[in-house]
Amino acid sequence: MSPARRERGDRAETAADWARGPTDLPLRPAVTILRGLQGGLARGLAPLEALGGTASGLPREVRAGLEGALRRIEGDFPEDEWGFDEGFADAVLPLLELMYDRWWRVEALGVPHVPAHGRALLVANHAGVLPWDAVMIAVAIMREHPLPRHVRFLVLRWAIDLPWLSTAVRKLGGAVASPYNAVRLLEQDELVAVFPEGPRAIGKDWSERYRLQRFGRGGFVEIALRAGAPIVPVAVVGSEEIYPKLADLRPLAKLLGAPYFPITPTFPALGPLGAVPLPSRWRIEFCEPIETASFGPEAADDRRLVLELAERVRETIQQRLLTGVFERGSAFVRPRGPFRDARRTDCLG
Amino acid sequence: MAGGRVLVTGVSSYLGTEIARALAIDPSIEYVAGLDDRPPRSRLDGVEFIEADIRGGRLGDLLPRAGVDTVIHNKIVRRPGSGMSPRAAHEINVIGTLELVAACERSASVAAIVVRGSAGIYGAEPEAPQFFTEELARLYPLRTGFQRDVGEIENLFGAFARRNREVVCTMLRYQPAIGPSLDTQITRLLSLPAVPTPLGFDPRLQLVHEHDAVAATLAAVRTPVRGAVNVAGPGTIGLTRLLRRAGRAALPVPSPLFDVVTAASGRLGLASVSPDLRRLLRYGRAVDTTRLTDEVGFTPRFSTPDAVEDWARARRGRRLAAVGELLPG
Repeated sequence: MSPARRERGDRAETAADWARGPTDLPLRPAVTILRGLQGGLARGLAPLEALGGTASGLPREVRAGLEGALRRIEGDFPEDEWGFDEGFADAVLPLLELMYDRWWRVEALGVPHVPAHGRALLVANHAGVLPWDAVMIAVAIMREHPLPRHVRFLVLRWAIDLPWLSTAVRKLGGAVASPYNAVRLLEQDELVAVFPEGPRAIGKDWSERYRLQRFGRGGFVEIALRAGAPIVPVAVVGSEEIYPKLADLRPLAKLLGAPYFPITPTFPALGPLGAVPLPSRWRIEFCEPIETASFGPEAADDRRLVLELAERVRETIQQRLLTGVFERGSAFVRPRGPFRDARRTDCLG
Repeated sequence: MAGGRVLVTGVSSYLGTEIARALAIDPSIEYVAGLDDRPPRSRLDGVEFIEADIRGGRLGDLLPRAGVDTVIHNKIVRRPGSGMSPRAAHEINVIGTLELVAACERSASVAAIVVRGSAGIYGAEPEAPQFFTEELARLYPLRTGFQRDVGEIENLFGAFARRNREVVCTMLRYQPAIGPSLDTQITRLLSLPAVPTPLGFDPRLQLVHEHDAVAATLAAVRTPVRGAVNVAGPGTIGLTRLLRRAGRAALPVPSPLFDVVTAASGRLGLASVSPDLRRLLRYGRAVDTTRLTDEVGFTPRFSTPDAVEDWARARRGRRLAAVGELLPG
């Protein structure tokens, strides 16, 4: 406000009148802020501090948000030793929930099978180049579990090598896929999601969707045994349709240091837009936990037990995947009621 | 600790001086000698200062003559100073250590060696475990000159320790140190008006406060432990959070240009960024300090975020004081 105008205001009415004046206008917060700012600057505060001091003029919710933002700018936000930033995770949750509800229309089953506290290893099938399935598993537990908790997930090395993605993954609770990381997280009683198919999964062709790849050498079972953590098999239906891979340009992938250079209907034809996943319909099923603590940590070196458990987990997921694909029906469009029922009886009969 | 007769190499560096001073006032230590090729910046009361090049071959008769039973090896060049070529730094690191090991081999009195080594041996890798434990040292190839130096130093002491079981060799693997009195690559970089960071990366860093850096070596002298021990302030801090807490502005540079920009800042004499630090600023690194707390019995006073906070506070204070001196009256 210009000094000239203020003088005019002083002349026309008393200062008290002026202060009361705009109360019935929606402009009041703006006026309070400007006045606070002016006062702060007159007292010799730095512009940013003066701006902070004006926040009393704002509605409480806005004030809380603003204070949070200012705190973040000053670096006053917690990150744990893994770099997990709970404030960031909570801030992007609404966006992810939108993906969960509207984009992929996720249906989550058996969420209470996930232990409400203590260590546990979620083992899921993996597809797609970006770790969307890990994120959706996390959202499912945050939303549908009676005692919501954050999921830590392990991602492929090259996600850590990409700008922004590496930062986002770390702040959301991701870490690079390494047995050392998995064991340490479990020993800190975290809930950890792993994808034993690893890079073999994202290189799958469209024709191989929902065929589980080899589960490595059962490393995830060793980890669970070592930490005495129950294994919860998770079958994710829908993630395999978000980036349908039609071809793979190996030489280009080699050049870029990526494991694959996928050609999908949208990538690289649409450039960065190709990273937008297709809106398939998802179904995430959490199966019954497999208890491992009774075997003891030494059992991690028992090859036979490790392979047996790995096979059991793999079969559970494969079977739930095939059932899930049937029960979900069409990949992109929700079928009409009667049609869906008819199809299901056809398939089952 | 055996008889309490200690030799500190590289005594003229800030940390070397502080370590020697702390030992000199410790009543259980009988004698402290300090070796370096340049005089210390401040007085060393109660320390016999020996001005000699560690590569000069004088250690061979110095150790038995002084009856040294504990050697603290601090003469490891992390960042070649002004007027020092990378080649000279490499020579001091490797040939100097070789001379020291040879002298210890011939001396009958040496019972313990504590090396202020570096966690740089783990490297900074995208696929690395988020917390390196001591046995994970050679998971990745040694990529930089400094890493290869540290690898060689560890090899020399490793072989020495295997041959001489009666001598306790402690290899302290330090994360980069930070503190108000230190002038290191990292503090110089953080003091730039805008700190170049790799665009899109926000690595987890782990640092050790200067007080803890001194105290950890003293703790290792008191409680000798065989083999490698990681030294770091507990916890980690993201680069962005570090810069914000320290009130520093970031200058994000796209990765392909990052090497060019940092090399230019080095050439302009602003702040040199070694290849190690370049990788650290992209991928970060953290270590597990269980061995330090459980076996050496030392718990750092400053966590990594606290160490950053302390450095930033001291820096702000200094700047305010400088402004105050400029003001009239």
